[in-house]
Amino acid sequence: MSVVDHNALDLAPRISEAEVADYIALLKPRVMSLVIFTALVGLVIAPGHVHPVLAFTSILCIAVGAGASGALNMAYEGDIDALMTRTVNRPIPRGRITVPEATVFGMTLAFFSVMTLGILVNWYAGALLAFTIFFYVVVYTIGLKRWTAQNIVIGGAAGALPPVVAWVAATGSLSIEPLLLFLIIFFWTPPHFWALALFRNDDYARAGVPMLPVVAGPDATRLQILLYTIVLVAVAFAPWPLGYFDAAYGIVSLVLGAGMLALAVNVYRHRTGSRALRATRKLFAFSILYLFALFATLLLEVVVHALVPSIW
Amino acid sequence: MDDNRKPDGIVLTEAQKKSRRQRSIAIALALGVLVVLFFAVTIVKGPGVLVRPM
Repeated sequence: MSVVDHNALDLAPRISEAEVADYIALLKPRVMSLVIFTALVGLVIAPGHVHPVLAFTSILCIAVGAGASGALNMAYEGDIDALMTRTVNRPIPRGRITVPEATVFGMTLAFFSVMTLGILVNWYAGALLAFTIFFYVVVYTIGLKRWTAQNIVIGGAAGALPPVVAWVAATGSLSIEPLLLFLIIFFWTPPHFWALALFRNDDYARAGVPMLPVVAGPDATRLQILLYTIVLVAVAFAPWPLGYFDAAYGIVSLVLGAGMLALAVNVYRHRTGSRALRATRKLFAFSILYLFALFATLLLEVVVHALVPSIW
Repeated sequence: MDDNRKPDGIVLTEAQKKSRRQRSIAIALALGVLVVLFFAVTIVKGPGVLVRPM
């Protein structure tokens, strides 16, 4: 008799109490803000004039596409999010939103963001946005993340694409400059996330995610961070001597690149105790500032170029 | 008809009603933004909105 009663209870539909804030959390707002900023730079440095309404539409679609990727990522990773301190308060592990709800939400946003960008702006940009979402969700989240320690190296391409999508939205074509922005973010991703993984090592190990410190150990990760930082600083500096970006960018890139390199050397040298932890936290925090400052300089250069003729 | 009779089926709690109302408003706002966006771009592009090079 009791079995019948239990079955009757199981058949009762689940009524959601999820609030709008829970759905906003699914969009990964902090990641989205970086996507919006880098896409804005890609749009602003693109040659020619873009109507403000089309520019707004492009950035909105890219932002919503990034949010869709975040929601689909959380829908797939509900099991491991529940095991990690950093992610245990996300809406799915907390039971606020179910996996099917998050999946439908993510798919709906992905569909509307791609279609709107394609219809209102251009289909090259729409297709590239669709590819970015596909790459983040299918290639990185489903394919790479639980399989290889190179997950964030290859998966970093998804995070590096938004300025390229924005450039294509503005011009309808590709060029060297957005690819340079792509390379900067691409090579920035490994030192940034491996620094995070170093001080969240226990989290990733508990969840069984094969991040580099879990698989190869902290020392090998420190070496990889240093090597990738050297490449990053060179790649980020190159556009100035190559003539793509101005001197202001070159100087900022050089100064902040030296800071980034010094912090990466610090991480490599200090391997135990509180100094090691402090070094990795500093590198992680500075890497965000580094990327933000590089892109902000590009934005400022465009603003100054636009203002100078009116001043004279 | 007995007006005091309890309704059959599922009765939402206050929390469920509140969150559902919130979500409905958010969906309405999102659809409103979409409509305004399509209208604005149509005005901006003019007849060019029909030109769809691939």
